[in-house]
Amino acid sequence: MERLLPRVLLFALAACLPLGLVLLPIGTFLVLSFFHMENSQIVPSFWLANYANFFRNWTYLGTFLGTLWLCTQVTAICMLLGYPIAWFVWRRSGTLRYFLLLLTVLPLFMSYIVKLYTIRSVLGLNGLLNQVLVGLGILEKPSLLFMFNQHAVLGTMAVLYIPFAILPIFLTLERIPANLMEASRDLGASPWSTFRYVVFPLALPGTIAGALFTFVLALGDFVTPQMVGGTTGFTFGRVIWSQFGLAYNWPFGAAMAAILLATALLIIALASYSASRQRI
Amino acid sequence: MLNRSERIADILAGVLTTLVLLVLYAPVFISAIFSVVQVNDGRIMWETFSLQNYVSMWSNPSVVDALSNTAIVAASAVAIASLLAVLLALYAEWPGVIFRRGIEIAIYLPFLLPPIVTGLSLLVSSSQLGISRGLMTIIVGHTVFVLAVAYRLVLTRLQSMPRALVEASYDLGASRLQTFRFITLPYLASAIVTGAVLALTLSFDETLISVFLAGDRMTLPLRLWAMMRVGFTPEINALVTLVLLVSLVLAALVASRLRIGNSNPE
Repeated sequence: MERLLPRVLLFALAACLPLGLVLLPIGTFLVLSFFHMENSQIVPSFWLANYANFFRNWTYLGTFLGTLWLCTQVTAICMLLGYPIAWFVWRRSGTLRYFLLLLTVLPLFMSYIVKLYTIRSVLGLNGLLNQVLVGLGILEKPSLLFMFNQHAVLGTMAVLYIPFAILPIFLTLERIPANLMEASRDLGASPWSTFRYVVFPLALPGTIAGALFTFVLALGDFVTPQMVGGTTGFTFGRVIWSQFGLAYNWPFGAAMAAILLATALLIIALASYSASRQRI
Repeated sequence: MLNRSERIADILAGVLTTLVLLVLYAPVFISAIFSVVQVNDGRIMWETFSLQNYVSMWSNPSVVDALSNTAIVAASAVAIASLLAVLLALYAEWPGVIFRRGIEIAIYLPFLLPPIVTGLSLLVSSSQLGISRGLMTIIVGHTVFVLAVAYRLVLTRLQSMPRALVEASYDLGASRLQTFRFITLPYLASAIVTGAVLALTLSFDETLISVFLAGDRMTLPLRLWAMMRVGFTPEINALVTLVLLVSLVLAALVASRLRIGNSNPE
């Protein structure tokens, strides 16, 4: 083993960037969350007032709980649609399987803002959907029914995040050894029983981890609710964002971001615990 | 071999897969169509077909400016992240490593946490240090974001490297530096390149961290976002189509490289 001094020096060299650019900034904003504003100046202090304000004021706490509920719905939709898709791709073989996998993964890399743009150009007042419906005579005049409501936010987020749900499910299904399914069939199990008692339980930990990551992605999104939700899409991410813009109360924004961070860390920890329970 | 219920399940899942894929790829087709023809009352006017939007787009100075900012940011962030990824992976695999777990958590966190947390933590700390926002801060934000994927790919490759290669090099009298230059680096090269292309794809589209760090500088996604709020012009459709094509080509490149990497691990 090397001597201690060079080891410590090399550690300092290697660790300075990741720690300095990631952990230190997170620490800085956590400290800021205890400061407060006076005459639109940030004043160093040790106040819990920002946190108390969050828990006492139903506007903020309610938005937070509403966002958690929205993300739960998004995750549920992504899982209900994503599971059969992952299963279908997994059951193909050879080039077709690779091609289908590629098709489901590629949208992950399509620009987020561009997807929002096209969804708006379909659902909006002058959007494609309205034009088609008016053109066909189904609607008298263009309707705002498709955008600027909670359903639009939910649907858009599901479209944005479903590839993130499909991939982890596929990856856990892929790890199930083929001979386990053959053994199940040899022992006389029906395809449904094989799925119910072999495939599903073996893939469950990875599936749960995938669901939790989808949840975290939806939780931090602050642009989708604004772009397709309008005034109805007031999510927690958007409230935090507004504190760094128009509302200009950085310490309060930092306190709410700290609550978001704690929630996200809890979910990520649950996800990695779930993934570690994987027995294949 | 398949029984009836299995076949029905397959067909249903296949139909669902087709429908969802159609929705997922709709942005590409919709923006591509809107960029070349006019659409009235939901009917495509094929006679209005022109590539004019692809030409006029380039005479919009704000688009060109955003494009060059994106190129600067992506190139710098990818270069720095790739270099750091190699150094950190070598350090993580070094026998004298201290606190490896902590360093790895710091590397992976910006990728796992909501971007809003990464964005505003860098915003708050740079303003505490008195650094004004601009391209530099965006580059830092993108670097910490893409470092995770670059590091992961390089580390996996490094871990698969046979010890014998390095030992043979030392036995033949090569110095540490020579061994790194002629043995380790060529072995890692393909993983570094794949990581760099993946990082480039991510940096090209990154929006939610950049928006905190940009100040008055605009990257391409931020410019698009600003244009969207104003309204729709056919020019945006041309720009959007190009952005999607670039992302898809880059991502397909990564996928093919990863597949080749997996099939012959030599």
